[in-house]
Amino acid sequence: MNLVLRGLKLPLPRFTLEADLELHGRVAGLFGPSGAGKTSLLELIVGLRRPTEGTVHLEGRMLADATARRFVPPERRRIGYVPQDGALFPHLSVRQNLLYGAKNSDRASRLVEIAAVLEIAPLLDRGISGLSGGERQRVALGRALLAEPELLLLDEPFAGVDRPLRGRILPVLARIRDELRVPMLYVSHEPEEILALCDDALRFEQGRLTAHGTPAEVLAEEVLAVTTTFRAGTGSPS
Amino acid sequence: MSGEETQILGFTLGMAALAMVAILPPGLALAWLLARRTFPGKALIETLVALPLVMPPVATGLVLLHLFGRRSAIGRFVHDRLDLNIIFTWRGVLLAMAVMSLPLFVRSARVAFEEIPVRLEQIARTLGASPARVFATITLPLATRGLTAGLLLAFARALGEFGATIVVAGNIPGRTQTSALAIYQLIQLGRDDAAMRLCLASAVLAFVALFLSERLLRRRIS
Amino acid sequence: MRRSRFGFTLAVLAGLGPAAMAVELNVSAAASLTDALQEIVRAYQTVSGDHIVLNLGGSSLLARQIEEGAPADLFLSADEAKMDALAKKGLVLAGTRKSVLGNTLVVVVPLDSQLRISGPKDLAAGSIRAFALAEPQTVPAGIYAKEYLEKVGIWRRVFDRVVPTENVRAALAAVESGNAEVGLVYKTDAQISKRVRMAYEVPAGHGPKISYPFAVLAQTRHPAEARRFLGFLASPPALDVFRRYGFLVPAGSAAKP
Repeated sequence: MNLVLRGLKLPLPRFTLEADLELHGRVAGLFGPSGAGKTSLLELIVGLRRPTEGTVHLEGRMLADATARRFVPPERRRIGYVPQDGALFPHLSVRQNLLYGAKNSDRASRLVEIAAVLEIAPLLDRGISGLSGGERQRVALGRALLAEPELLLLDEPFAGVDRPLRGRILPVLARIRDELRVPMLYVSHEPEEILALCDDALRFEQGRLTAHGTPAEVLAEEVLAVTTTFRAGTGSPS
Repeated sequence: MSGEETQILGFTLGMAALAMVAILPPGLALAWLLARRTFPGKALIETLVALPLVMPPVATGLVLLHLFGRRSAIGRFVHDRLDLNIIFTWRGVLLAMAVMSLPLFVRSARVAFEEIPVRLEQIARTLGASPARVFATITLPLATRGLTAGLLLAFARALGEFGATIVVAGNIPGRTQTSALAIYQLIQLGRDDAAMRLCLASAVLAFVALFLSERLLRRRIS
Repeated sequence: MRRSRFGFTLAVLAGLGPAAMAVELNVSAAASLTDALQEIVRAYQTVSGDHIVLNLGGSSLLARQIEEGAPADLFLSADEAKMDALAKKGLVLAGTRKSVLGNTLVVVVPLDSQLRISGPKDLAAGSIRAFALAEPQTVPAGIYAKEYLEKVGIWRRVFDRVVPTENVRAALAAVESGNAEVGLVYKTDAQISKRVRMAYEVPAGHGPKISYPFAVLAQTRHPAEARRFLGFLASPPALDVFRRYGFLVPAGSAAKP
């Protein structure tokens, strides 16, 4: 991934969000307390909000330039976005949700492939209402992936899922990273997830970037506190 | 019921249905704008749209008569250039019904749109859908129940329209006389039995429309 | 049947054959004329070939529509003042205005009423709590009723018991239902109700002069046909019909035009 945010500003009720950073890894982790402006930053990147200042570039493409008042609409940014609640379309089946943004060419085979990776193949012909929290999140993930994004933004996608289930989902995300090779920006306030998944970590507080480096560096404080859980659990950081 | 009464009811139903077809596109556009967009003058538009709801219908009728009468610029244009007569024709009935029922539809449709989480529309955009496709595939299907309920409510209102209709379209038996106008005239002429028959038929029609509308709304909430 | 005999009389008297070029005439007419007019129009259409389109409503509304340019060839008003207003604006075709019909005010009571009312003095009786009139400032029937009550000197004794209604027919309905003990309405309206009886009729000379002005409108594109229909409304067969519905037809105007 090559995501560049320059001099980005967005006034929010309690503070002004500011961002000036470059991301190059496969998976970057965005860590911070709730209310730090993480979701707003994702919305700036995906195009659901417009910055008052600054620019956004992805793979050399200009996505937003506040000075020139040029903003590429979200449907042409090729950035996938999986929000906290999944936001599945309630009037569509699992299959229809998955295929909503799929390109026409090889959608059938892509559907099979991604459903297999996400372990949701048996759900395809079901409606949305009967799905569990974990199933919903995986369908939302699959829907974003089928639109073939150049970057995938995950906003605490497993915040509502209980701990044992998360342990099963992290490997799925690792497969997306390794097999589907989709770059991700992963927001979480769980240090262990960021340590397990990311090559790059950002700490965000009060609308500002306060640390940027390897997950071990950025999360040094938290690493100590979670070591026990971490050993017992999910795998090792890179 | 006499042939004349059947003709009146058929005409009224047809006109009200046509009025619904006429208000659907502008009604959807207005409701969507009011539900999803902020723009200068929004409060003004909201008020203007709601005005026929609270103004005496006869006053609304007078405004329309003034706008579309042959002494006004619009009226002259429509008459001379488009060769259309509005005043004292079925088009006047349609105009009165449409203007009087539009606010009810816009209000219901606006609520229907507002109840849809913006999140769903935003996610559809990030999946590559244009605003038009989002509207057609997400907004519209999710709002269908509320929109249908609103349309039925507006339809019931159009069926009973009296004040604006009599001013704009006149009360011409066989041409512009709707059931509401016929009932009024029959009562004035002392033909209470015929008036009661039309009242009953109108009440049944309005009841069915309102009953369906309420049912749709209740199912949506549960 | 009355109608067919009437049609026959009409054809004979008027001497009208079907016109070479049938036209459509839009006639805005006071609602109180409806029944009589529909009977006359049915017969006129069969003999003249012209098509008469009736727009029926209150005189004020009809006048207002004409002022706004609504398509009408003739105006049959229940109120001289409304016709005056149109004439002042040049909307009436000069020389066509004529008033051939009159009406009478009558005092009505519910059919089972115990009240003894035979003249204006009885109207001020304390046992009368509600007195139904059409709205006395805007509706012609109400204006006439008030004029009469003032003339006989009891308006000030009854005005606080007056129930003003939206039109004269509503005043009649108030009496029919017993919600008003007494009503003052047109004779033509009182005649159609089976649930009221006339206590007394206001004698000619005691009440205001109530007349119905008819005229061709200046904007008509068929002045000849409009004049012909107007002339017909004042012809003896038509006046017979009006008389049957309770309208006052002055002896002088019954002569063949």
